[in-house]
Amino acid sequence: MRLLIASTTKPYTTATTPQPPESSVNHTEVSHFSALAASWWDPYGSSRLLHLMNPLRHDFLRRCLSASPPDPAQKLDILDIGCGGGIFAESAARLSMAQSVTAIDPTPECIAVAKRHQRSDPLLMEAGRLNYLQTSIEELHNHTTTANSAGARGDREMKQYDIITLFEVIEHIRRPYPFLSSILPHLKPGGWLIGSTIARHPVSWFTTKLMAEDVLGLVPRGTHEWSQYLIPGEIREWARREAELNTSEGLGWRTMGVVYVPGIGWREVRGSEEVGNYFFGVRKRGDGV
Amino acid sequence: MASTALLRRVLALPPHLRRSVYSSATTYHGASQPDIYDVVCIGGGPVGLSFVSALRSHPSTSALRVALIDSQDLSTARTTKDTETFSNRCSSLTPASLRFLKQIGAWEHAKKERTQPYHAMDVWDGVSGSKIHFDSVDQQQTGLLDAVAEMIPGSRFQASRRKYEVEDVGVATMCENANTTSALLQRLHELDEERSKDRLIFDMLEKTRVESIDLGPESKDKESLDLSQWPIVTTSHGRIAARLLVGADGANSPVRQFADIPSPGWDYNQHGVVATLDLDQQSTAQNLRTAYQRFLPTGPVALLPLPGNKASLVWSTTPQHAAKLKTLSRPDFTAAVNAAFRLMPLAWRENATPAASTGLPRNFPRIASVQEGSIASFPLRMRHADTYTGHRIALIGDAAHTIHPLAGQGLNLGLADAEYLAQRIAYGVDHGMDVGSCWTLDGYNSDRWAKNNAVIGVVDKLSKIYGVGSGPVVWGRSAGVEVLERLGTLKGWMMGAAAGVK
Ligand SMILES: Cc1cc2nc3c(=O)[nH]c(=O)nc-3n(C[C@H](O)[C@H](O)[C@H](O)COP(=O)(O)OP(=O)(O)OC[C@H]3O[C@@H](n4cnc5c(N)ncnc54)[C@H](O)[C@@H]3O)c2cc1C
Repeated sequence: MRLLIASTTKPYTTATTPQPPESSVNHTEVSHFSALAASWWDPYGSSRLLHLMNPLRHDFLRRCLSASPPDPAQKLDILDIGCGGGIFAESAARLSMAQSVTAIDPTPECIAVAKRHQRSDPLLMEAGRLNYLQTSIEELHNHTTTANSAGARGDREMKQYDIITLFEVIEHIRRPYPFLSSILPHLKPGGWLIGSTIARHPVSWFTTKLMAEDVLGLVPRGTHEWSQYLIPGEIREWARREAELNTSEGLGWRTMGVVYVPGIGWREVRGSEEVGNYFFGVRKRGDGV
Repeated sequence: MASTALLRRVLALPPHLRRSVYSSATTYHGASQPDIYDVVCIGGGPVGLSFVSALRSHPSTSALRVALIDSQDLSTARTTKDTETFSNRCSSLTPASLRFLKQIGAWEHAKKERTQPYHAMDVWDGVSGSKIHFDSVDQQQTGLLDAVAEMIPGSRFQASRRKYEVEDVGVATMCENANTTSALLQRLHELDEERSKDRLIFDMLEKTRVESIDLGPESKDKESLDLSQWPIVTTSHGRIAARLLVGADGANSPVRQFADIPSPGWDYNQHGVVATLDLDQQSTAQNLRTAYQRFLPTGPVALLPLPGNKASLVWSTTPQHAAKLKTLSRPDFTAAVNAAFRLMPLAWRENATPAASTGLPRNFPRIASVQEGSIASFPLRMRHADTYTGHRIALIGDAAHTIHPLAGQGLNLGLADAEYLAQRIAYGVDHGMDVGSCWTLDGYNSDRWAKNNAVIGVVDKLSKIYGVGSGPVVWGRSAGVEVLERLGTLKGWMMGAAAGVK
């Protein structure tokens, strides 16, 4: 069998744990990951699999939005949590449907790399199109409310987004449910929270811990904490407990399992969401939906 | 400092590009900010124009800001109204090329009365008289390409194997390049009218010479826009920056030179003599037409049908012979062409040679005269760029490859490049990619390079097998042709090549 379930979690990522009043950022992990910052935009570096996966993120996003397609004239505000070097954030900011992308990561080196790369694209340098912030989700309102106070309506509450993305992040979070819940106030009614992660399953232990870290060394050892992985059912259970989320299949809840096939690339494989990499999307109720 | 090293890695280029990038980055002195485009296409030949039309026709790419630059006045490329004269620059368009031109809305603007489909091709060996007849039914056979892959050592034809598209058009359709070009220009004009409100996004820069291509300036500080890895095209009209610079600029491609992409190959030591001919047979649109090609020791000579009693000649021969042919009077040239198709090469006296023994097909027309001023010649070479892409660079058409005209594939390969690159860009736009990055371009390079290389390899080998006048190769090749005529599979291969395997 040449079919592998690949581990492509980010080589470094946000390590946000919601434990106020202390900073939610785990500094050991932040410094561990920042050492790898140079490789984000190297096409043959350790982020290659993430680059290759990026188109599928867009395919999945579009599939979620198809539940009730937004009016093309209405441009969307997007928040990307754990943006790393900006692979998804940049691509989202180029979409014709995007009004703005706010991309956050607590690792300073990530934000530095992301900003440096942003400068090589005049489109992304247009005012307001792509904003990187070195922050955690808990601190975000401190940045955006000030940034937004000059906005049209002078919002008293924190800025809300049409789409919030969370790619390859929650497997690094020690207490994922409070973390997920802390995101919801940032989501507009009717908006989608979209993420990707790896399911906890013997297969994913084999591929992401044993093969990717120990045997092949594709990603640094300690990148994954297999026991923290969530299976799709667990995320859906969390979503059902959140009254403001719509979890009915297709309209408010979606998953898509993807598999990396060496030599071919990432492919959607039905059912694989139970054993390896998968996307999930869940929608906030409201605005007539 | 660490950040310099980082920058280098972040902006990593393929090694063959690096040299030109760093050398020119330091020599650039730009004052004002260049005008920024998503796609700058240099070259408004049939390939460049079809590429730009494809971008402008597709909903995902129609909003890209595109510039097309050509040093020529493209409006003069129109065909003449006169139906009695035809340009000597004609190409046989395969069904795959026609489908592409229809899909982008260009073919409906072509003057159909000036195009000529043909339904069969007769090929025979001028030394042994062995012959092989192809017709469009053969296309439907399967496994043809595999057969050839086995026949020709080293051929990578299998890599390009695909099902043929069987259409009603027969083997291929002869069309003057100017007819194709002016259809594409009309289509671009039509698209401009449709979208006149956002006129800014497409600029046709004709009669504009590319003076230089450099990389952009280093940015002044660590905050502002950094175009140091963007190609900046300086023309007689100013400077423009390209997110993606496409070289559709022909065999001597300035874009390829800027990107420092080697394009190895060899000269065939042959020239292609082209001319427009009058035949003694008059046909109507209803007649089924045949193309003819005879392999002579000096190279192949081909007669390709045009409407009425017209035909297009492509005669590949030695440079000396080509030079001689161009000096002949029209009646003498006509006699030479008749001889090339009808005589045994060493005899050159028609009545001494019984026609059937030369392999001459029945119904083969006699050439009555040659159109005034239509005789021209060009050197034949084989070139294939090592890669079609670099950082913010893509090559299409003759800029990427030139091949021997014996299978009539040059333009068809270029149109397929244009179609595929435009498709990749549409995919890139839909997925938020930087369309100048390797994430968009790699797929174009890997797909088209392998396919073209397979065709180039087979055409090159055929031209070599048939480029030798005597000895075992002649014996071997005529035996080969006869065996294959019976097998039917090689026929299918050549049909596949002529009809355009997509
Ligand atoms: C006489 C002849 C007969 C042929 N017959 C056939 C045939 O039967 N079938 C077939 O498939 N192929 C045939 N070919 C090959 C075919 O014509 C080419 O493959 C085809 O024209 C390639 O198109 P292109 O657009 O890539 O390049 P070109 O047609 O060469 O166009 C290049 C364009 O780039 C422009 N350009 C170049 N440099 C610059 C610059 N510095 N600044 C601005 N503009 C620039 C030129 O003005 C030109 O318009 C033939 C070729 C020749 C020469």
